[in-house]
Amino acid sequence: MTGPSLLQGPPPVAVPPTTLSRGRGRLRRPQALAAAGFGVGVTAAAFALTPMQGRADFVVVAWLFATVAYLGIAARIEGRRSVVDRLAGVLMVTAAGVCLLALGSVLIYTVVRGARALSVDFFTHSMKGVGPRDTTGGAYHAIIGTLEEVLLATLLSVPAGLLVAIYLTEYGTGALAKAISAMVDVMVGIPSVIAGLFIYAFWVLALHQGFSGFAAALALSILMLPIVVRSAEEMIKLVPASLREASYALGITRWRTLLRIVLPTASAGITTGVMLAVARVTGETAPLLLTSFGFDSTRTNPFSGPEESLPLYVFRQASSAFDTAIDRAWAAALTLIVVVVLLTVAARLLTARNQLKS
Amino acid sequence: MNVESVETPTPESPARGRRPARRPGRRVGDRVFQALTTTVGVIVLVVLTVITVFLFVKAWPALHSAGLGFFTETKWFPDTNPPTFGVAALLWGTLLSSVVALLIAVPVAIGSALYTTEYAPALVGRWVGYLIDLLAAVPSVVYGFWGVTFLVPRMVPLQQWLAHHLGFIPLFGDPDDLFGKSMFAASVVLALMVLPIVAAISREVFRQVPGDMREAALALGATRWEMIRTAVLPASRSGIVGAMVLGLGRALGETIAVALVLAATFDINVKILKPGGNTIAANVATKFGDAGDLGRSALVASGLVLFAITLAATLVARSVIRRTGRAVTGLA
Amino acid sequence: MRLRRRVLSGLVALCALALLGTACEAANPSATDTRATGTAGTAPANAAAGAKDTASLSGAGSTFVQSMLQEWIKQYARVAPGVSINYQGVGSGAGIQQLTSKTVDFAGSDVALKAGEKAATGGPGAVVAVPWVAGGIAVEYNLAKVKSLKLSPDTVAGIFSGRIAKWNDAAIKADNPGAPLPKVGIQVVHRSDGSGTTQVFTSYLKAAAAPGRWNFPTDKDWHAPAGTGAKGSDGVTQAVKQSPGAIGYADVSFPKLSSLGMVEIRNQAGQFVAPTAAGVTAALAEATPKDDGSLTMNYTPTAPTAYPISTTTYLLFARAGDPTKTQALRHFAQWALTDGQNLTESLDYAPLPPPIVTAALASVSV
Repeated sequence: MTGPSLLQGPPPVAVPPTTLSRGRGRLRRPQALAAAGFGVGVTAAAFALTPMQGRADFVVVAWLFATVAYLGIAARIEGRRSVVDRLAGVLMVTAAGVCLLALGSVLIYTVVRGARALSVDFFTHSMKGVGPRDTTGGAYHAIIGTLEEVLLATLLSVPAGLLVAIYLTEYGTGALAKAISAMVDVMVGIPSVIAGLFIYAFWVLALHQGFSGFAAALALSILMLPIVVRSAEEMIKLVPASLREASYALGITRWRTLLRIVLPTASAGITTGVMLAVARVTGETAPLLLTSFGFDSTRTNPFSGPEESLPLYVFRQASSAFDTAIDRAWAAALTLIVVVVLLTVAARLLTARNQLKS
Repeated sequence: MNVESVETPTPESPARGRRPARRPGRRVGDRVFQALTTTVGVIVLVVLTVITVFLFVKAWPALHSAGLGFFTETKWFPDTNPPTFGVAALLWGTLLSSVVALLIAVPVAIGSALYTTEYAPALVGRWVGYLIDLLAAVPSVVYGFWGVTFLVPRMVPLQQWLAHHLGFIPLFGDPDDLFGKSMFAASVVLALMVLPIVAAISREVFRQVPGDMREAALALGATRWEMIRTAVLPASRSGIVGAMVLGLGRALGETIAVALVLAATFDINVKILKPGGNTIAANVATKFGDAGDLGRSALVASGLVLFAITLAATLVARSVIRRTGRAVTGLA
Repeated sequence: MRLRRRVLSGLVALCALALLGTACEAANPSATDTRATGTAGTAPANAAAGAKDTASLSGAGSTFVQSMLQEWIKQYARVAPGVSINYQGVGSGAGIQQLTSKTVDFAGSDVALKAGEKAATGGPGAVVAVPWVAGGIAVEYNLAKVKSLKLSPDTVAGIFSGRIAKWNDAAIKADNPGAPLPKVGIQVVHRSDGSGTTQVFTSYLKAAAAPGRWNFPTDKDWHAPAGTGAKGSDGVTQAVKQSPGAIGYADVSFPKLSSLGMVEIRNQAGQFVAPTAAGVTAALAEATPKDDGSLTMNYTPTAPTAYPISTTTYLLFARAGDPTKTQALRHFAQWALTDGQNLTESLDYAPLPPPIVTAALASVSV
């Protein structure tokens, strides 16, 4: 995820349309389209006449032929330098196309398979008492579990993260601030499974607390904390100094200035950071596997006993050998994607609105 | 996913340097607030130190039992008598899958970033950028599930083609084998997860290249590609390296997607089309449940190795990006 | 700040709504299905034993017993509505380990505890081991054109040790004259987690194959070099299902429910036998009961109908655990050993022979 600063770079320079002064002429759009069409036509003929077959093969070969034809005509009309330029253009468009294809493939496949398996029952039933051959059963308990765990992790990490960010921006000096800042840097790189392994070895086993939703929340908050600290730090630093100074000039103390002026000004950015952090940990699976283990019924108390959550539910149903479980896994995967994408898009819209205002 | 924390730093805010002069009559509230934030900072520091110490203490029995063999042994039987285990095969699989994922993802990511910043009309570029960022919002378990049900069966023809035509390259050897849940398939799934990270940072880096450098190149009669080659890419080189290392960090630590896509084996093998292989992270997820005391210790030790590599990658990325930030501003 | 508060209050409201929802969580329609009505009536005394219990039991372990246990849990909920049982199929090894760490209330395992494991749980007798159902371990395969496959123990050992690498190998052809065996490689899938199924399967190979054909340790971990690993019987079955030319092993319910082919295994009498309940029962008749309540399987049974890769699977729980939970567990085990046995064959498991049931009931009550 790009953070809030995505839109803060200098605006892209308005590059004039390709300036190709050296060629003998200029390739016009119809000519280019005709060349590409010719390439596709040749491919179609080749697939009809030779043993070549397959949809994917067709796309690749047609792309090759169309590119060659397009570059060929560019070479005739515009010269060699232009061919390199146009080849680079084709490759860039292709790269972007591959990205969108990948995204489309993941999203569309999940939506199609998930929508087929979704029903109202899926959201109102747990897996309690579902036999091996039953097609019933849902993810109610997993949704509750995810809510509990993510909420707990947010409650644990956001206040702490905010205070650390305030310390680092406002008060932190010397070795202590350096040490804390370095530790936050180190935390950013903790692989999620290691956070889970630590909580498993420490909280679940060494302290005899057992598997629980709270253990999962602890692991998730290890992952959330550095994101919250760093984004809050960035946002607090962005608050214009003039605002603070005006406040100080009125004789308002520093902590009141912070609470009344600085934090409210930075709140939209901080919220974005928190939402991105929440989106990130909502989709985490590995740490939950090691800390909340998995469960088939609804847990209202996340502090005792194993618990289910959406990512874990997807993982465990997806690992099953039975088609009914695979269907349930897709339905849950779709639910999970919708939740995470909504959080991400909302965070982005918030950033965009914030940008517009300033 | 951790992009925001290592993005090119915004110019140091002036707020930091200007604090109100310490007046003698400073209110109690200020002191309390300072004490509160400092305490929380210290607590975070202490907690992290405890984590580190605890992990080392937990890893010690395994490291002590296996000695240097921990880095050379490929098998993983820590709870048998006598125990035989080592991280060699896991480390190899972790590095191989991540590097292959980068080889696949980086050209595509940079190409798409160039498309969005240099090639596409501004509006199209922005939306394509948003969409590519959405790839980062897909949870890893969904990638893994999609990989094993959708991608793996469809990769088989491609893998056979590679083995048949490029079999002379050791990576693609052994065309007689059956293909499926191979290192290559896992790398493709990892590549999808790395892609949005590298694309987003590259985009950011390209955007920071000053406009006058572009205009200068174009004014000299350069084509758009020549402008990119002579002005944009040189100025962004270290930023791209940073993006790659950051993507590497993501790939190294990925657990569930690999656990779903890869069929587990414990051997060191360059043939990425052969089914099998394993990574440190995936092995933790598979083995934590049945690991006994020494087994858990061994898992923690392997986790520390993974953490050390990821940390090194993150630190390299950070320093490289910091340097880029300076380089770009220096040019402007 | 305002915005953050709004987001937070939204989250809190959402959570409150969710918690409110738990109160009215609907029962699964399947729980009202009628399969158990007949069986519940046959032994009201046992049904009554657990009827008044209230406990939430969480268990983990063997994936072998998972299908059976899910069905039992579903039916037992009607007998003892106050008892909520949850079971995670994570492998026998993980089940035993989690029971030792006291993170679960009971474990399922296909093999009895080893001496070292007994010591870790607090000495012999600290953990009660009750056999509660038997079943066959099927050798499942994925060959579209081969509807029936017969293998001798030596060939099975050859395939799983990697010595036999192609489906059209002479040894396989010899057992299956005329079968359309393809010229593709065999992809062996074994368990990647610690598994009682693996231990039973490798013990069988060691006992039944000719000397020297299977030279690997009989352990919960897979030691042979061939093939790739998958997590749980679920994972093995899924991997076999996804890859043409693959072969693996799991309890019968998995290939049955995922429509995979199962190998007929040649037993000591020279007959090729499919893993049916009758075959398992015949094999169990030749097992030897031990003092601690477990059974020593004979992997080379002489009966002509016996399916040799058969095993019982055990319920393990701490003798001195939380008394309410232990009591509820004992009642559940009693129900499983009596009424529960009637459900076994519908899921392709085999009921335990009466003498073993009697011994098991005795060990549960102590």
